[in-house]
Amino acid sequence: MTTLNTYTKWLFIGVLSMGLSNCSDPWDDRSAEGDQNLQKNLSERLLENTETSSFGQLLVETGYDSILKASKTFTVWAPTNEAMNQVDESILSDLEKSRLFIKNHITLSAYSSVNSEDTLTIHMLSNKYLQFIEGNRIAGSQVVTADQYTSNGIFYTIDQALEVRPNIWEYLEENKAEYSVGAYLYSLDDFNIYHRRDSIAKANPDAQTLFADSLTNSYLHNVYNLNNEQNKYTFLLMENDGFESETEKLVPYLNKGAVDSTKIYAQYFALRDMTFQGIYSRENLPDTLVSKFGVKVPLDQSQILEEIPVSNGIVYRMSTVDVPLEKRLLTTEIQGEEPKSFSRNDKEASTFYRERPDPQGGIVYDIMVQNHGAAQFAINYEADDMYSTTYQVYWRAVNDIQSNTFQQRLRIGGTLSEDGSEIVDPIALLPYTDVPPDVYDEVYVGEFTLEEAGKIDFISLIAANTGSNGNNTLTLDYLKLIPVIQ
Amino acid sequence: MKFIKKYTSYHLLLLWVISLGLSSCSEYLDVPPKDKLAEEQTYLDVYDADAIITGIYGKFITLAEKHVILNELRADLLSTTVNADPYLYELQIHQVSSDNPYANPKAFYELINNCNDALKNFDIMLSENRLTENEHAQRYSDVGALRSWLYLQVGIHYGNVPYITTPIENLDDLLDTNRYPKISFDELLNELVNFTNNLPYTTSYESNSSLLIDVDGYNTGKFYINKECLLGDLNLWIGNYTQAASYYKTLMASTDDWNIYKMPFSFPNDEGIAVEYLRYRDQDARALIDTKTDGWGSMFVRDRDDLWNTEWIWSLPFDSNFAPENPFIRLFSIQEGEYQLKPSQRSINLWDSQTQLNGFPYDARGRRFSYFTVGEQPVVKKYLYGYLDLESLMPIDMFNQDGRWFLYRAAKMHLRFAEAANRDGNHKLANALLNSGIREAYTVEGAVDKTDIEQTHLPFPYDFDARNGDFPRYRATWHRNTGVRGRGYVRPVEVVGDSLISIENNLIEEAALELAFEGSRWEDLVRIARRREDPAFLANKIYDKLRAEGNAEAGAVRSKLMNEANWYLPFEWEIKED
Repeated sequence: MTTLNTYTKWLFIGVLSMGLSNCSDPWDDRSAEGDQNLQKNLSERLLENTETSSFGQLLVETGYDSILKASKTFTVWAPTNEAMNQVDESILSDLEKSRLFIKNHITLSAYSSVNSEDTLTIHMLSNKYLQFIEGNRIAGSQVVTADQYTSNGIFYTIDQALEVRPNIWEYLEENKAEYSVGAYLYSLDDFNIYHRRDSIAKANPDAQTLFADSLTNSYLHNVYNLNNEQNKYTFLLMENDGFESETEKLVPYLNKGAVDSTKIYAQYFALRDMTFQGIYSRENLPDTLVSKFGVKVPLDQSQILEEIPVSNGIVYRMSTVDVPLEKRLLTTEIQGEEPKSFSRNDKEASTFYRERPDPQGGIVYDIMVQNHGAAQFAINYEADDMYSTTYQVYWRAVNDIQSNTFQQRLRIGGTLSEDGSEIVDPIALLPYTDVPPDVYDEVYVGEFTLEEAGKIDFISLIAANTGSNGNNTLTLDYLKLIPVIQ
Repeated sequence: MKFIKKYTSYHLLLLWVISLGLSSCSEYLDVPPKDKLAEEQTYLDVYDADAIITGIYGKFITLAEKHVILNELRADLLSTTVNADPYLYELQIHQVSSDNPYANPKAFYELINNCNDALKNFDIMLSENRLTENEHAQRYSDVGALRSWLYLQVGIHYGNVPYITTPIENLDDLLDTNRYPKISFDELLNELVNFTNNLPYTTSYESNSSLLIDVDGYNTGKFYINKECLLGDLNLWIGNYTQAASYYKTLMASTDDWNIYKMPFSFPNDEGIAVEYLRYRDQDARALIDTKTDGWGSMFVRDRDDLWNTEWIWSLPFDSNFAPENPFIRLFSIQEGEYQLKPSQRSINLWDSQTQLNGFPYDARGRRFSYFTVGEQPVVKKYLYGYLDLESLMPIDMFNQDGRWFLYRAAKMHLRFAEAANRDGNHKLANALLNSGIREAYTVEGAVDKTDIEQTHLPFPYDFDARNGDFPRYRATWHRNTGVRGRGYVRPVEVVGDSLISIENNLIEEAALELAFEGSRWEDLVRIARRREDPAFLANKIYDKLRAEGNAEAGAVRSKLMNEANWYLPFEWEIKED
């Protein structure tokens, strides 16, 4: 009995102690081991790491070590010591430049090398956007070690420092002295190409300090904002001789009266077709690029002297970009169903925006004003960016619901009379032209010549001088104004 | 050591007592739940019966998504986009895998089983005098008709199916063909016609019924299935044309109102649901009337007002504030939804091959009302009227996802009546209802005295009087009827060759133009193809759809659909072990 009882006693104690040992709380154990990596912040880890100690040292010198101690989350792509040795001394010796250099390696929030997308666009503290590809390359540098975690973020080591590239607009400014293209584009900070559109900011004496370049510079405002880091552009930078010869070609067509302003406009029209959205790398460069304004720019690869990667795209330095006038001078097309105004405002009930069948199978979207009872009723249009040259005028006017032929005519130019009741001093008055039933072809209706380039405020389609309905009908699908090259 | 021994035995005893106590708990805990009704508590009086019916319809609306997808995506008017779920694409190319959730018939049978349970209990209530004869007749007929509608859908999509009319415990048993043998689609149709023809009550609920109320701001009158339309459809399926026409005609003539179910023209300065331009401005594309209260499209969004009531026969609402959520915004909207489904190129081509009365080379019911285009992408519009601002075509409030399930309306009834009339030998009448209306077809040019013209002079159900004269004055019940195409503002279609087949073809094409995406297309194609014993009627239309979109499967799908057996989905679902 005694033996059994002793055995039972020991068993009892054994079970009890097993139970007691189970009482330790795993929640308390969770951090007891500790992960050394999580004990230290980015600043400490970078300085301590033998591979990145120079970068860590630079952090201390620039004061960024204190920023990387903060309790935000960062990702740092730290160049190895070897890579740091390659960095230009002029950057490291200048505090301003070295700070920018540091900022170009740091971003807010944590980016791991494992992502659902293969390319991430990362907004660095330098305000540049760098591409982080497949978790192992960033802006041309290879990742050496990935995903090193710390108490406040992740760092990578990379085999080449991320140099701070200028964007296109900064590049042009740096090289203003060398290239007249840059000097000219910066002069558009003060000169209005389109008076009403650009002048809001410029009218303000404080504009240059108050507003971004994109509001005050005519090129950035009307073409593309080359100072925008978030988009990518391809810019063709002509050498001075090439720019001069392209400008000369355009001078006769951009007559503004004064020699100076004619040249400024000719330069603008030469350059507005030199920026393209997106990056076209050298190997993917097509033989023709289409500008924002529809000009087909032929690209002769042999003219490329240098390709300069910039932070928001690529600049091709070219001896010249020869754009033939036939391609440069664009035909102006005016849609009938997009009128600017009417000679009187009480004919809305007679105005029809139609969708008629086209014998070719499409739909004609046009305007018809019918049964309005007003002699010489007129629809007004406008046209921008007209060249100082002769224009040939065609229209497509569909007369499909009447059986009779009627007439209409075009008046080009003119200004509103002082009392606003009529348009006076037109540039040209084209003759009345027949609009026979069921003609769907383009019809030549005459020509006119502009002495001065710019905008035509009034292009008016005028009805026959009769109040009798059926004869004073107006109809227009579109107008085509084709510039003649002298 | 005695102590330990004593303690140990005491301990054992205690454990034994405790375990005894635990085992008895199970019975102790078996109290009637306070938040649920036990079976014997559910059918006490007429209000309980009404609650059951409301519950059945509440569950019925969850079938909306499946109904539209199965009936449209398998047919020729709706296509998948690149965003579509692979299971949706399977339906489009008629290669449906057995685990395709859209093809699972179980949801239909769950509701059928609910109906069976309700019907059984309504009978018990009648025998125990908890329902009067009249109360019973109305409720029994409603649920019975709904069950027939569900079976008709099941037959259309699955072909051979089990026909069960008593409640069963476990739905999975239906897959056991030894216990529940399948019957053919033809046998099923006969069963359904026999059952539904004999329902004691075929009109809507009496106006004093406790089921006709406003629920959450919606009047419930047209929530319930319309039995006359169902009976018309069932008889049309089995070829009882006179009978079918009679049911439709009874509903058309259920009121002398000149507008209700008459497909009336609209007065230029009044609100209407016709394709219409501002007065004297019909050459102006921008003068098309397209608001939420006026114009053809307004029928999909307008309040349940008098005008709504002229067109709609059966429709159920989705409300953002209540489950179930509206599935259609997710399926169709490109802005905030998933844009999984879009109008097929074939449907767009069909609309664009019409000519409007003003000469415009398209049917505005397509590009302006049934779909719209964002960039190059066509988007189904019918289900998004409430969700979009009609000027900008952008969502007004992405959280307001109110919508409707469109089940039956006057245009569908007119087209089906015309189909029956045409098959019954009344081609002229069928053509009149399709094209420009009765009066236009039966009038005599220049005649002033309308006493003997502008009417069909036919016996019921083909008797239509559309006289509209001033000397002597007539304003007959049908004088405003303008035909389905007349209301759609498109030119009449010609009858070419054999008038019976030609008119039937025209009617089915018109159903595409008028009723696209509303969930009746596959059913139309199957009905006609079966009637003509011509699988090519169906197969060619699906082929045209796929080919117009450059789908490489087009030819293979056509050959597959040339065999009727391949029209039907697999009747199976996965049995989940509990």
